[in-house]
Amino acid sequence: MIAAPPTATTTAAGLSADGDAGVAGGTAPASSGGSPADGPPFGLAVVGTVVAVVFSAPLVYLAVRNGIELETTVEAITSRATLDPLRRTVTLAVAVSATAAAVGTGLAWLTTRSDLPWRRLWRTLAPLPLVFPSFVAASALLAGFARGGLLDELLGPIGVDRLPDLEGFSGAWLVLSLFTYPYVFLPVAARFATLPPSLEESARLLGRSPLRVFRSVVLPQAAPAVAAGTLLVFLYTVSDFGAVQLLRYDTFTRVIYGSRVTNPGRSLALSLLLGLLAVAVVAGERLVARRRTRIEAVRARRPLQVPLGRWRWPAFAVVVAVLGSALLGPVIVLGWWVARGLLGGAGSRSGNSVVTALDDAGIGDLVVPAANTAVIGVVAAVATVAAILPVAYLTGRYRSRVGDAANALVVGGFALPGLVIAFAIGYWALRSPASGWLYQSFPLLVAAYVMHFGAQSMRASQVAVAAVPRGLEDAARMLGAARWRRLRTVELPLMLPGLGAGAGLVLLSVMKELPATLYLRPIGFETLATEVWGAASEGYLARAGLGSLVLVALSGMLTWVLVVRRSERFD
Amino acid sequence: MAVRRRPLSVVAGAVALAALLLVGLPACSSGNDRLVVYSGRSEELIGPLLERFSDETGVKIDVRYGDSPELALLIDQEGDASPADVFISQNPGAVGFLDQQGRLKPLPPDVVRRVPAQDHAEDRTWVGLSGRVRVLVYNTELVSEDDLPRSVLDLTAEQYRGEVAVAPTNGSFIDFVTAMRSELGDDQAREWLEGMADNDSPTYANNNAIVAAVGRGEVPMGLVNHYYNLRAKAEDPGVPSENWYFPAEDDVGSLLIVTTASKLGTTDRDDDAEELVEFLLSEEAQRFFGEETFEYPLVEGVAPPSEVPKLAELSVTRVDLDELGSGLRATQDLIDESGLAE
Repeated sequence: MIAAPPTATTTAAGLSADGDAGVAGGTAPASSGGSPADGPPFGLAVVGTVVAVVFSAPLVYLAVRNGIELETTVEAITSRATLDPLRRTVTLAVAVSATAAAVGTGLAWLTTRSDLPWRRLWRTLAPLPLVFPSFVAASALLAGFARGGLLDELLGPIGVDRLPDLEGFSGAWLVLSLFTYPYVFLPVAARFATLPPSLEESARLLGRSPLRVFRSVVLPQAAPAVAAGTLLVFLYTVSDFGAVQLLRYDTFTRVIYGSRVTNPGRSLALSLLLGLLAVAVVAGERLVARRRTRIEAVRARRPLQVPLGRWRWPAFAVVVAVLGSALLGPVIVLGWWVARGLLGGAGSRSGNSVVTALDDAGIGDLVVPAANTAVIGVVAAVATVAAILPVAYLTGRYRSRVGDAANALVVGGFALPGLVIAFAIGYWALRSPASGWLYQSFPLLVAAYVMHFGAQSMRASQVAVAAVPRGLEDAARMLGAARWRRLRTVELPLMLPGLGAGAGLVLLSVMKELPATLYLRPIGFETLATEVWGAASEGYLARAGLGSLVLVALSGMLTWVLVVRRSERFD
Repeated sequence: MAVRRRPLSVVAGAVALAALLLVGLPACSSGNDRLVVYSGRSEELIGPLLERFSDETGVKIDVRYGDSPELALLIDQEGDASPADVFISQNPGAVGFLDQQGRLKPLPPDVVRRVPAQDHAEDRTWVGLSGRVRVLVYNTELVSEDDLPRSVLDLTAEQYRGEVAVAPTNGSFIDFVTAMRSELGDDQAREWLEGMADNDSPTYANNNAIVAAVGRGEVPMGLVNHYYNLRAKAEDPGVPSENWYFPAEDDVGSLLIVTTASKLGTTDRDDDAEELVEFLLSEEAQRFFGEETFEYPLVEGVAPPSEVPKLAELSVTRVDLDELGSGLRATQDLIDESGLAE
C-alpha cells in the first residue's frame, strides 16, 4: 500500500527528469487511479482563479498607483544605490534560509522522533520565537548580548572582556536565523508526526545506522516540508525591515522605506520590483519542487522513536542553547526592562507591592488588547487556512496553470513589506462599492492578514495535501463516499497536523503583525503588538517589555492548545 | 480508528462565533458622532490629554495611532473619503507633505496665535504643539566635556571619525538636513553630509537605537532629539549618557523641531476640531507636554521640564517649516547621494 521507499537518488532522478517536467515527479507514488496530469475539476479551477486575482491586488496596486514615473523607475532600478542593497538582501536571505533550515529541521526531529529529555516542553516552546515583533526581538537581543549590554556587564567581572559585535551581516544573520527557524520547525515537525514508521523500521532492520536512516529515509520524506519552510524564511528575510535596520545591515527594504514619503514613486517602483522578483523565485521553486518525491502520510499510532544514546545530553544542550538565545534570552531582557522600570519608576518609591507596581506599569490595560489579539489571531488563522486549502488542492493534486499562478502570487506576496500590503488593500477597499462599510473594518483586517500570511499556510497545506495517500481517497470513492464526506472523514484528519502547522504559523504572525493592524484596524481596536509598538517607539521600555511578555505567554498558550496538543493526538 | 469529529466542530463553532462578533462590533462603535483623530504621537504622549478633553467637553474622540509619515500617506490615499478630522504629527515633514497635497484646512487665527509666529504655518494649516531640540547625546565615560563640539558642523572633523551616530532614514534627521539646506544652502548641506559619510559615521535605525547604543558605550556620541535620553534615564537612572546642546550661536545643530496639529480638509466637524486644537494649546495641556513627555511647551508662560535648559538659555534655531514639505524629496536625494545611509 505504501509507495516505494524513496532513496538517496531522489535528486538524481529529479535532475534527469528535466525532459518531462510535465509529469508530477521522477518517482511518483504508485497510486492507483487519478493521475496528477488530470485537469482540475471546474469548481476548483474557478476558486483558484479567484484566489489568484485577489492575491495579485498588491502587485496591481504597485503598478497602477499614481506617481510611478517610468524614467525614475528605470533609473532607480539600475542605479548602484539600489543594486548594492538588493545584493545584500539576497546574500542575507540565502544565509538565513540555510541556517534556519538546519536548525528548524534538527529541532523538529529531536522533539518528535528522538528520546530527547523534555521533548514535549521543547515542542511547545520551539515555535514561540516567531511571535516577537522583529523590532522587539532585535532591541532585546542588542540590550542583552551586544557590547556593553546586560550579559557583558555580568561577564565583565569574571574576566570576559568583549563579546563579539552583534551588528552588520553577522548580527542580522544570527538574529534573523534565531527568529525565523520556526517557519521550518512547525511544518517539518508536523511532517515527522505523520511519517510512516515502517520505512524507518525496515531500514533499521536491514542494518542501517540511525544516521544513515535519517539521511536516506527520513530526510527525503521531510524534504518538501523543509523546502516549504525554508522558502518562507527566505521571503521573510527579504521583507524584513525592523530587525535589519536595528542591527545596522543595509538592505533593499531601507531604500523602499527611506523614500516612502520623500519620493513615493521610487518607493512604489522598487516594491514592485521586489514583488516581481519574489513571484519569479517562487515560480522557479515550484518547478523544482514538482520533481521531488511524493511521500504519503499514515496515521501512525506511535511514530518511531530513535534512542539518542550517548548523544542524548549533547543534543539536549544544543536545544537549550538555541531556545536559550531565541526565547529565554529575550524574555530575560524584557523582564529586566520591566523590573528596572518598576524599581526606577515613580510608582514604586512608596514601597508598593509587586501587584500595585505592575498595575502602575499598566498590566490592567493589557487585558483587552490580549483578548483582541487572541481572537483576531485565531480567526485570521482559520480564515487563512480555509482560503488557501483549495489552491493547495489545485497545486497538490492536479496540473494546473491557474494553480501555479495562484501559488506564485500567494507565496511571492510574502516578500512584500507588510506596509505595502496594508496600503494596497486599503487602496482597493476605498475603491470598492462597499468602501463605506468595508474600509477599516474587521473583515478587511482579516482579509489583509490572509493576504499577507497566506504563503505560510499555503506551503504547509500543500505538504499536507500531497501527503494524503491517493489510494485511500480512491478506495473511499469506490465505496461510494461523496466528495465532501471523503474530504471530512478521510482526508482532513490526515491533513490536520499539516494544516495545523500552517495555521500555527499564521496565528503567531498575526499576533505580532503591525502595519496592517495599525492602518486598517477599526479605529480604537488595540492589540498587544500595537501596545508594544506605541510604548517602544517612544522609549518606554518597561511598558514595551511587559506587553511583549504577555504576548509571548499568550502565544505559548495558544500554540499549546491549538497546534501542539492537536498534532499530538496522532502520536 | 474512529475519526474524532467533535473537537474540530467545537473549534469551528467557536471561530465562527468569534468572527460574527468581530463583524458585528464595528456596527456598534462607529457612527459619525465622534471626532476622529489620526495621531502620530503615541498613546503615551497624548492619550491622557484626549481623554481629559472628552471628559471636559463631552466630545467623543476616536484615535488611530500610527507613525506620522504613514498616517500622512494614509490620509492622502483616503482622499475625500478620509474619516479623519484632525491630524497630530510628530514630525513636520509629514505635515508638509499633506499641506503640499492640499489636504489641510486653515485653523482660526486666534487659535494659532497662541504660539509664536515661527511655530505655526503662515497659512495656518498647522500649529505647533510642543518642541524638541536636536542635541548630541554622549557617553560620559567615553567622552570628556572638553572634547565636545561647539557646532554640529564640527562633527566632520577627523577628531570625530567613527564616533558620531546618525539615523539618516529617521524623520527628525531628514527635517534637520532640510533646515540645514534652508539655513546654509544646498552646497554646504551636501558638504556636511559627505563629510559625515567620509568620517565613517555609524548609522542607526532611529533615535532610540542611538541612545541605547550610546548608553551601552557601543558608540561615544549620536545626533538625536533631546527627550529620548531623558526618557531612557527615567527608566534606568544609572545610564552614563547626557545631552549636549551645541553652544555655538544660532547653530543649525540646535534646531527646534515642533510637533503639530492640523485640521483636515475633509472634516465636517470644524468646531470640535478647533476646540480640540485649542485645548492642546491650553496651559493644562502644555504643562503635560513639559512634565510628562520632557518636551518644550510652545505657549508662552508655560515652563519647560526641570531636566532641560530653558529655551532662552539655548541658542536654538527655528526654521521656516513651510518649506519642509516641498523640500523633502531634494533632502532625501542629498542624503542618498552622500552615501551616508548605506
